[in-house]
Amino acid sequence: MRHCFCRIHLFPRYIRMSAIEETKNETAIATPPVAVSKKDAVTPSLILSKFLALLSSVRFGVVLLIIVVALSMIGMLIMQQNVDGFDKYYAELQPSQKLLYGSLGFFDIYHAWYFNLLLLVLSLNIVLASIDRFPTAWRFIRHKKLEAGHRFLESQQQHAKVQLETKTSTELSERVSRAFRAVGLRPTVTEKDGRVYVFGERGAWNRLGAYAVHVALLTIFLGGFMTAQFSEEGQMMLTPGLSTNQMTNLQFNLDEVKRVPVGLPFTVICTDIQQKLIHKDGSIMANNTIDWLTRIQITDETGTREGLVHLNNPLDYRGYRFFQASFIAQGSARTITLRLTKEADGSTQELSVGRNGSAQLADGTRIDFLEFFPDFRIINGKPGTESDEYNNPAAVLKLTTPEGKQLQAFAFAAELPSGAPVSAAVGGYKFRMVDFEKVPYAHVLSIQKDPGKWPFYAGGTLLILTLCGVFFFSHQRVWSLLEERADGKGFDVVLGGNTNRNKLGFEDRFKRLVGEIKGQPVAEGEQS
Amino acid sequence: MSEVLKQPAEFAAGVEFKKSWLGYVPAMLAVGGSILIVLLRWRMGGAGFISDGALMMLALACYLTAATFYLMNLYAPSEMAQKVGLWTATAGVFFNLSSWGVRWLAAHDRELAILQRNGYGPEQMPWFFRYIPFANLYDLSLAFAFGAGITTLLIAHRKNFRFLGAISLPLASLILLLARFIGNEFVDLPPILDSYWRPIHVGVASLSYGVALVCFAIAVIYLLKDGIKTEAMAIWSSIFSIAVLATVSRFSVFTSFAYGASTFMQTPSGGRRPIPLRVEIPMVGPVLVLSGLLLLAVIILFWTYLSKRSEQARVWGHRLLKLSLVAQASAIALLVSQIKTIKDVWPRLQEQLAQDPVGYQRLGQWIAEQQGLKPAEIAQVPVERLEMAARDFLQANGPKLFLSTNANPVELSALITAFAATLFVILFSFRTEKLIAALPSKEKLDSLMYKTGSVAFAGLAMLLITGAVWANESWGRYWGWDSKETGALVAWLTYAAFLHTRISRGWKGRSSAYFAIIGFLLVIFTYLGVSYLLPGLHSYA
Repeated sequence: MRHCFCRIHLFPRYIRMSAIEETKNETAIATPPVAVSKKDAVTPSLILSKFLALLSSVRFGVVLLIIVVALSMIGMLIMQQNVDGFDKYYAELQPSQKLLYGSLGFFDIYHAWYFNLLLLVLSLNIVLASIDRFPTAWRFIRHKKLEAGHRFLESQQQHAKVQLETKTSTELSERVSRAFRAVGLRPTVTEKDGRVYVFGERGAWNRLGAYAVHVALLTIFLGGFMTAQFSEEGQMMLTPGLSTNQMTNLQFNLDEVKRVPVGLPFTVICTDIQQKLIHKDGSIMANNTIDWLTRIQITDETGTREGLVHLNNPLDYRGYRFFQASFIAQGSARTITLRLTKEADGSTQELSVGRNGSAQLADGTRIDFLEFFPDFRIINGKPGTESDEYNNPAAVLKLTTPEGKQLQAFAFAAELPSGAPVSAAVGGYKFRMVDFEKVPYAHVLSIQKDPGKWPFYAGGTLLILTLCGVFFFSHQRVWSLLEERADGKGFDVVLGGNTNRNKLGFEDRFKRLVGEIKGQPVAEGEQS
Repeated sequence: MSEVLKQPAEFAAGVEFKKSWLGYVPAMLAVGGSILIVLLRWRMGGAGFISDGALMMLALACYLTAATFYLMNLYAPSEMAQKVGLWTATAGVFFNLSSWGVRWLAAHDRELAILQRNGYGPEQMPWFFRYIPFANLYDLSLAFAFGAGITTLLIAHRKNFRFLGAISLPLASLILLLARFIGNEFVDLPPILDSYWRPIHVGVASLSYGVALVCFAIAVIYLLKDGIKTEAMAIWSSIFSIAVLATVSRFSVFTSFAYGASTFMQTPSGGRRPIPLRVEIPMVGPVLVLSGLLLLAVIILFWTYLSKRSEQARVWGHRLLKLSLVAQASAIALLVSQIKTIKDVWPRLQEQLAQDPVGYQRLGQWIAEQQGLKPAEIAQVPVERLEMAARDFLQANGPKLFLSTNANPVELSALITAFAATLFVILFSFRTEKLIAALPSKEKLDSLMYKTGSVAFAGLAMLLITGAVWANESWGRYWGWDSKETGALVAWLTYAAFLHTRISRGWKGRSSAYFAIIGFLLVIFTYLGVSYLLPGLHSYA
């Protein structure tokens, strides 16, 4: 009991779990709590100890859990301000609702001060409750109870008495030990005051499992804290040719979104964006998409490297992660295939030009693919697009003649009437866009730097392992007392045992143990 | 050395191993058999092979049959009924898993066909897990019901716990019924979901949801064994049913005594598209209102009985409860049969809209949303223009509207669940003493409840962690308080509270049972409520 040292005295007895059942059956180990006994004098230390007792009680922990559940439910039922569609939701609310929810912080409840405080108190509760209860659990491992009297044995979850006509106690203890081993319990034989005890157990480490789970949870909380404090995130809109060393961080305040630029320690140049479609002729919307790919070059003081970001395949660089996040849904073209008809002899040739790319003809004419409009229309005297859909696709080209003269030309996907001004020959050629590969106007990457993810991953892995360790195993113990019978005709074996989990499995094991000792293995029908 | 040598320990252990192994044969047969079916389907191809939909209906039939035999066995214990129950349940799990596996292959064939139509070669075939049937709520329901079924079979290795199927299998049937109403059309997988974390995450989800369902069933049985009066159960089930009646059909049942069924529109490609217009189904509204009133009377009468010990109130309460069961059954029958028979949707709708033109505005808003207008922009559109857009839309598309049981899967399933809840309370009230005597001891039930509760807890933890890792790998954040994430967390925390109340105060039994029940209700809320009611990343499944 020295191991429960004075710390336990800080806490009233009732808050400790019935932790070890043998305590109540054995000698009265638990000393009356000192703090509670001084109930008349209200001293600061008493208040402190009562406060600590509250903070470390499991009951308080359960109350905290219920509060977290209640607040989380509020957050589920009231739309949070960072969710898509919040502006619509917010617009439909009554002014009184806006005022009430807003003043209570319900639109961003998971970042409200009281929610963070609650998580902090919960962490504290986990730590204190674990410290409070750890010594009792440790006793199961370091100070095993090896002997047990009649009263104790009979008060166990499982108990039995077997009569055997064995001659000596050594022979009997060997036999009982063998039976223990046969059912998977590690036996220890103790002789004391002329009595022989055989104690067997399995899975004592299971008593520590709960603490490991709590360590895992705290590691996860640490990860969450580090993410909240140290992570950086933002978005980056990329079209081929674009270069930037900034990302945009979105900050939500009710239905307003603020865009804050955040600097990066490197420069990103987009070289290509590509969209793999399910139906090539279909739309570029998400439901017709297999994948979006963005090719970039990252340049910093150490040099330049190529990188590819695509869906579910982020790119890592210097602790930053690039994710394919979304796209700007205006139709564009990754490559166009042009059919050129020479005005002079009517001969045709086809060639492909990539976005922002160029091609050289045999006669030295250079063609640059400048722009693409999915729904071409002259707006205010300038070429533009009527909509985002591919209703009237057209490409804007720049022609540089061998003489160095620069001209603008249009290539349409649709067959144009021969008299139309845009279909007139430019630089000696007529242009037609016979094919193009669909791609959105731009891809949006999200960029994240999160040092908190490592503790989170470690904690998560630990949590799964420890939970399996806790719940799929149990600490099972059986004591037996070997007593020579009064009439001298052999021995009585008095057995009793308990488990902290899996009572049904333990019951089976206990029955099998008794059967083994008797020499009559248990049949299936007797299984519980 | 005496008897020990005659009975070598190794031999004894061998016998024991063989014995305990036998208890798991049904589960192994079900899983092994479905693997065979899937292999067979793979060798033979889809033509002429039984479809996943048919297998699912077989599973549903088996679950219902097994549940009936298990229930019979509770009231009139017989070895035969128990055996039939166990083996039909095994067949149910077999069909259930086969259906899921065959669906995987069917999805593969569909994927291949799409590739060929687009002129891609087979080398473009996406990897195996892209078309694993974990794409929408239908797939997930199939797996969820399997999780519940296999857990029931595994627990049935203890003879005393075979009765559990009497509760867990009807629940599994309800989930399959929901799947049936959702419909087994394949959906194109949103590309964002194409990650190897998906099978891990969703697989863990369906299995742990299944265990949670079984834990819930044990909790209900425990409460019965613990002597909770069936009248008290009836009060809770009636509150649940009234809540269902009040919310279906956009709260119209108690406000305008009408039930409107959702409509689909035929699309040119042969598909269908949900349209936010409900067609009133005659008679259903009033019968639902009648059921609700009866249930309300039941609550009042049983409340009187429980607080004032009025025997007369008890007797009348039970009579009205049975009447309400009949009323609920009639409403469901009227609803389903009329959804199947009504063909003149458009004329009915015109008549309805003539009386209530607000419907045009709502449809107009929806059309504007479909065109990508933002809420602020829609607010600026004059009401007349919205109405006009709706009228134009209906002029063109009205005749293409039709009714289907698939248009409102959650509402239909909720109505049937409310009916089932009432039915079970009535069953429990019938020869309650005998029923209680047939159940295992409270301690055993409590122990099993704790066991399943802790497995569900561990499973939900895996669900949360794998989901978080997936989110971080795909979207760059492991936790975003998305409503589905939060829902799963809330359910997990409730199970955490369930486990801690037990150790902290030696609260076993009744209080734990309440936590187990609330935990499962939250799981269902996360499963359905979030997908259908709340917006967020998980709104597809």
